[in-house]
Amino acid sequence: MTTRRNFLRWCSFAGLQLSVPVSAAQPVVDEQTELPPYEGPFYIVFNASGGWDTTMLMDPKGVGGINRLFAAGDILTEGNLQYAPTERHREGGLSNEAFFQEFGRELLVLNGLDYAVNNHSPCSRYMATGKLDSLAWPTFAALVAACRGPSCPLSFLTFGNYSATGNLVAMSRVPYLPSLRRIAVADGVEGNAKSLYHDDFALRRIEQTLAERRSLRQQNPQLPRRQHAENMLYAAQVNSKALQRVTPYIPNEIPKARLAQQAEIALASFKAGVCVSANLSIGQFDSHANNDRDQMKLIPEFLEGISWVLHRAEELQIRERLVVVMQSEMGRTPDYNSGEGKDHWSIGSAMFLGPKIAGNRVIGRTDERQFAAPVSAKTLKESETDGIRIRPEHVHQSLRELAGIDQHEFSQQFPTGVPQGERLQNFWGSADQADG
Amino acid sequence: MICTGGQFDGTVAGIRPFAVGHARSGKRLLTMISTPAADGRLTRLAVAILVLCFGGPLSGDELSVCAAGSAETAVDTFRDFLWPAVVSRKCLVCHRTDGDAKDSRLILQDPQRVALAQRAATMRQNQDLFRQLAAEPSAGASLLLTKVSGGLDHGGGEVLPATSAEFDMVRRYLQMAAAAESPGADPAPADRDSLFDGVSMLSNQRLLRRAALSLAGRLPTDDELAGVQTSDLQQVRDLVLQITTEDAFYERLREGFNDIFLTLGLNGNADATVLSYEHFEKSRLWYQKFDLSHIEDEKERRQAGYKLAREYRTALLQEPLRLIEHIVRNDQPFTELVTADYIMVSPYTARGYGVFEDLKSQFADPEDPFEYVPLRLPALTGRSRQNDQESATGFYPHAGLASTFQYLSRYPTTETNRNRARARLYYLHFLGVDILELAARSSDAAAATENYQIPTMQAPECVVCHRTLDPVAGLFQDYWRFDANFSIYGRRKEGWFEDMFAAGFEGEPLPQEERWRAIQWLGERTAQDPRFATTMVGHAWYLLSGRRPLTAPADLTDPHFEAKLRGWSAQQREIDRLACRFVESGFNFRQLLGDWVISDFYRVDEFTESDPAADRLAELEDAGLLRLLSPEQLERKVAAVFGTRWGRLTEQTAMLYGGIDSQEVTERATDPSGAMGAIQRTLSNDVACRHVALDFSRDATQRILFPDIEPDVLPGQSAAADRKILQTIVHLHRRILGREDTAESAAVQLSLSLFRGVLEDAEQAGRFDEREIYHCRQGLERPVPDPHYTVRAWRAVVTYLLRQPEFLYE
Repeated sequence: MTTRRNFLRWCSFAGLQLSVPVSAAQPVVDEQTELPPYEGPFYIVFNASGGWDTTMLMDPKGVGGINRLFAAGDILTEGNLQYAPTERHREGGLSNEAFFQEFGRELLVLNGLDYAVNNHSPCSRYMATGKLDSLAWPTFAALVAACRGPSCPLSFLTFGNYSATGNLVAMSRVPYLPSLRRIAVADGVEGNAKSLYHDDFALRRIEQTLAERRSLRQQNPQLPRRQHAENMLYAAQVNSKALQRVTPYIPNEIPKARLAQQAEIALASFKAGVCVSANLSIGQFDSHANNDRDQMKLIPEFLEGISWVLHRAEELQIRERLVVVMQSEMGRTPDYNSGEGKDHWSIGSAMFLGPKIAGNRVIGRTDERQFAAPVSAKTLKESETDGIRIRPEHVHQSLRELAGIDQHEFSQQFPTGVPQGERLQNFWGSADQADG
Repeated sequence: MICTGGQFDGTVAGIRPFAVGHARSGKRLLTMISTPAADGRLTRLAVAILVLCFGGPLSGDELSVCAAGSAETAVDTFRDFLWPAVVSRKCLVCHRTDGDAKDSRLILQDPQRVALAQRAATMRQNQDLFRQLAAEPSAGASLLLTKVSGGLDHGGGEVLPATSAEFDMVRRYLQMAAAAESPGADPAPADRDSLFDGVSMLSNQRLLRRAALSLAGRLPTDDELAGVQTSDLQQVRDLVLQITTEDAFYERLREGFNDIFLTLGLNGNADATVLSYEHFEKSRLWYQKFDLSHIEDEKERRQAGYKLAREYRTALLQEPLRLIEHIVRNDQPFTELVTADYIMVSPYTARGYGVFEDLKSQFADPEDPFEYVPLRLPALTGRSRQNDQESATGFYPHAGLASTFQYLSRYPTTETNRNRARARLYYLHFLGVDILELAARSSDAAAATENYQIPTMQAPECVVCHRTLDPVAGLFQDYWRFDANFSIYGRRKEGWFEDMFAAGFEGEPLPQEERWRAIQWLGERTAQDPRFATTMVGHAWYLLSGRRPLTAPADLTDPHFEAKLRGWSAQQREIDRLACRFVESGFNFRQLLGDWVISDFYRVDEFTESDPAADRLAELEDAGLLRLLSPEQLERKVAAVFGTRWGRLTEQTAMLYGGIDSQEVTERATDPSGAMGAIQRTLSNDVACRHVALDFSRDATQRILFPDIEPDVLPGQSAAADRKILQTIVHLHRRILGREDTAESAAVQLSLSLFRGVLEDAEQAGRFDEREIYHCRQGLERPVPDPHYTVRAWRAVVTYLLRQPEFLYE
């Protein structure tokens, strides 16, 4: 008689089984009083929430009524990059002209990115994790934090956008700069390091007893959730001591711009060595009505935020260790609707900048109706014969490779599923390509 | 004309014992509820019970649905594996009576949409049909396999690539089915064992503590604990039902439901975004003209004005949550969440609606901004006649939460969104369906947009969602204004869109004569939809655990797929069982919480088996409560254990501690970050500092931490002294951690070792101040000298206990 077990065995014979560990992440706990700082690379993912109009940024058209603010002849170039002219149309912020002129040589542009679907929720998840049909996958920022700096007290900072962690690392929300200062010295009365609640010896005893209690619990098997909770809690408390290193980098003045406020927290945390990655986000890009007006307010604001981060990182001397991903969950239609807006479009773009990323390059293309042209994974050139549609999982596979975490057990636990033949070869380029 | 919403007088509660105690038969229940009912709502409810729980004549198997053990999992290969992993995900979206493949021979039924007791039979029908078609050959291969891989001009194209794990799973299943000895038999006979074998459950006393803290933010009394000393879970349930009559419970209820509906997250001032200019122009800003002239001091008068406005706005925001409270407080059927023909208003908000004078006599205190009574609002009158609300009754067509201005304003529409976001949220909140997940499969949305004139009605990948979503969006068509400050209600001048599926619900079109009350019409159908009950069971679980019900694992390549599926399946059954009981109880939410509390899923404590295999761990991946307390819950727990709140987990610190603002941040943190770890350390330091010396400063009979010991009791002084110290630690473990540790237990011995160690270190240090530190000796009832350092050593012990998961997690 066939049994359920036989059936499942058959399934396993049929290749349904991989040796993937099930266990939840075991956070790294550093019991030393002074945790060594994380030195980088640091990762910032900028998200234009709502769906940006890529034709007003790095994939300009000016034909077929796709853009009303400029014609094809107005399109500007910087090195190998093309961009839409926005200086005359922007409401505040930074123009494309200024942004590309300053950073074009460092920018890698990916056009014709295919999100497959065009709804906010699945698209946000897909772009953030590389996985469309699962709620379990971690975002790239969370994954790299878990792989590279699990013991950092603010390993993964998020200020919005889809931020699932896959239970690999705790998500930190630090909404206000001053709150960082308040928690930096948790054992001091009112955060005062000179006025501690406990004498040193008592505090040492408390920490020691907590560690003993934890190991006592771990002598017996625990339910997975309990094990996970205890590990996360213990790590959070012990590693939080390193937060005091952030204090010197907290500026006295809080910037006014939305992205700069978020970035200041992230950069201070990077500099202090307590953070690996951050999701920065601003919303309202969903320009179903008055597309041009909205996008010309938001894209310049977005670029200004990125520029601010890069300059501030330079001041903090971490610029050369900062990887920046610029993305949105979708693009916008090639046509305007009756409300002067543009609706959701499942083809878009992304930009990257940072160490080991050769700039002044464009990969992928959209045609005059804003459809993606197929790209050869091997040559990264347009190819009708062996071209593929570059989708978020391809980007994530490349990001994992860039970060050197593609073989990490956490990455294996959440595979991108990109077949070997579809992995984008030399996506990040080499130094000699930069000037292409 | 104003009429208050009537109370549901318990008639339903009256029929429940009969239904449960005597009428375990559809026929008896039918006879009973066919008695003419004076109250129309009772009739609706009775029909809902009939439809949802029984659906028609019952067999013995079907009647067992409500009674099935929660952790019993009779495994059925089709139902528990193939259906959730493949068929429901890949086939059901089109192959159903209202799907794209409705004309095909494979018409499956969604078990979630049939009466709870009929789900097993429905699944069997699905299985039989699936296998019947699979057995049909087509050019030497299975017809079904050929179709799913895109052959024979399959309308849905290639759904399962022949190389996919899903395809292989179907193939293997069909092979087994063909090989089965008796046609029609399940190819995989059921195994029977319990999900929770080898897992201990909380004692009734600890269970009661967990529930009391969770639901009412307090510790159980000694009498209550004495009342649950037996193993009878019913006693715990009875006490939980009592606890849920306390005011603190209603605060928790409102908080928990805001986590789900997020109605507190309205943008802007509520007097402008809830009450529109178009319909409440004359009344919504009443506070600006409110006579405060009796306050002579100008500054005071101004402050009083600010307070008035603030409380008015808060009261407006609270209305939807007060509706939920009203339903539960009065044991009214929870279906009123979508059918209540009233809203809740307070003296302040009644002024905003312009109905205060008519209602005044119904308030116990007409000046209390937060006393709420039910109200049927008159149909809206616009500034111009064209914006008057059509109504056959003269009243606003209330439909519980969904028709409140707060809900409509929190989830607004835009010209291009066409109420689809509202419809999506409606499905998610009240029917447990995340419609966007139906679309979460790779397609080419751009091509669909380009290739079809009306993609949402023609492109298969769009129709999958829009056929379900758009009709419900159409039901909200009369709420077609985009700036709540100006108006929420208003019809589209050109009539509703014709390039959308017409208004209706799940294939049933909205009759034209019902249009004026379309959301009511939707609410009535929602209440009768079996998914409403299961969704509310899920909400109750969220309230208790902070987690949503599991979603079925989808990754067939996961080596622990079977185990995870088994864990999911067990939880689904428990949800179905509780949903059935919920329906039987007349949709009594209080009783649903009681049922969850005594469910194995809530009571899970620890592993008792040694060396569990990886599969076993995967199966139990979600087992156990282990919920990181929210800032609000943690404050309440500090108050329950120590007598007063810490008071610092508010505003920015609450956000830093994983709280939500109901707008931008809508999901609570589930794992502590380093920032939260720092706050935990501060909390433990500070709470211990505030309470240890203070407790010693009280009369011994008034103490809560140290009732049986004084600071001059030192270890090693005498056997009696050592005993007292141990007893005190046992007491602290019980009070702070809720643990029943014995004096000999390793946990107590560790705490003892900490206490001793600190004293030894202090002694070795030689000199120390003979008083507590300045900050920790404030507000004492009398001075508490600390010449032996014992007060500070006890403070170290309390600090240590406060940092443990038993305190910081639920």
